Amino acid sequence: MAVKFFGQFLVEKGIVSRDGLLKAIELQEQKNLKLGEMALAMGYVTQKDIDRAHNAQLSKDMKLGDLLVEMGILTIERLGVVIARQKETHLYIGEALVLVGALTSAQLRQYLEEFKADQARYVTDRIELPAGVPNSRIWEMTADLTYKMITRVLDIQFRAEKCRSVASLDANFMMAAMDLSGDVQARYLISVSQGLQKRVARAILREESVENEPTEVLEDTVMEFVNVVCGNVAAKASQMGAIIDINPPVAIHPPATGLPVPEGHTALCFPIHVGEGEKMELILLIRR
Amino acid sequence: MKSILVVDDSLSVARQLEKIINESGEFTCIGHAKNGAEAIKMNHTDNPDIICMDMNMPGMDGLTALRSLVVLDKEVKVVMVTSLGGVGDKFTEALKLGAKNVISKPFEPDNVLQILRQL
Repeated sequence: MAVKFFGQFLVEKGIVSRDGLLKAIELQEQKNLKLGEMALAMGYVTQKDIDRAHNAQLSKDMKLGDLLVEMGILTIERLGVVIARQKETHLYIGEALVLVGALTSAQLRQYLEEFKADQARYVTDRIELPAGVPNSRIWEMTADLTYKMITRVLDIQFRAEKCRSVASLDANFMMAAMDLSGDVQARYLISVSQGLQKRVARAILREESVENEPTEVLEDTVMEFVNVVCGNVAAKASQMGAIIDINPPVAIHPPATGLPVPEGHTALCFPIHVGEGEKMELILLIRR
Repeated sequence: MKSILVVDDSLSVARQLEKIINESGEFTCIGHAKNGAEAIKMNHTDNPDIICMDMNMPGMDGLTALRSLVVLDKEVKVVMVTSLGGVGDKFTEALKLGAKNVISKPFEPDNVLQILRQL
């Protein structure tokens, strides 16, 4: 039901053992050279160059390849050649599983098809964002995955309104927020009306009625929904080559006047129309 | 019947897992810890057969707790239950640290039970 990678899919289904997967990962770690190792193997840089670049990385938040180019150690053309070589020689987990004897070639083909079918529901649909938003591909995927999780996890039918930039956040019954860090710096928020909070709670708790549930539990279900979406966003982002770390979610009770957008942030609002009298929004506060 | 300790800061996830575990007729949930530190204490006092533990928790997180648990108790069987299961690095780190498996959120009850039965 969640965003997965192939090795995980196989272990979860009991097709490959935990030890078999670990052996295959170990083989991948031996065979798949990191950028610096590949550049070294191709004779484009020396170990001393790599050490200098690693030292420079302590004070500069840059990827090794970009830093090697900036320091004049590697040309941009050669960096392209190194990356292309890395891709050509990359040993994929499926191939590694076959090599360590955890899977046959025929099984690999069969389960790869099953895996693709399982994950097809998480292929990102196009979502239009205002121009100039940094890391727009990540945020398009985030909004799309949120919509898919509203349908699949909460079983709520809705109509998504076009995303817009906003100068302040509207008031609502409650918000659940999660801070995202790593290759992006942002806060993910879901804002819900009281009725929607109960619908979220019914879906998360798998209960017919939540009328007697304490406020703490009702709020926790919205935070858990945010946790589930953001964890899957991090998984999808890792497939796109970006690292996203998540932090524990928090509940926010916005005042009737709404909330200001923090300085230095772009606020994207994705209104989600669920029905008369109910209000739901996805908000992304993205650090510029 | 195998005993299971649930470790998650989320009350709703603890409720979900407890329901799945207790309604299975094969397992029984013997408690709920809200973070890694509580899990280590409860593993010592309650000695569960299996621990189902979240990764992303305030205080001591799941991977830090897992590191300690496998050192303190050689027989411990930990399954991570996390929304980060699909992040390859996190999944691999959990297995390398000694987790028996990783269940991704959102999960289906059948999937949870199938993995618990493998232990």
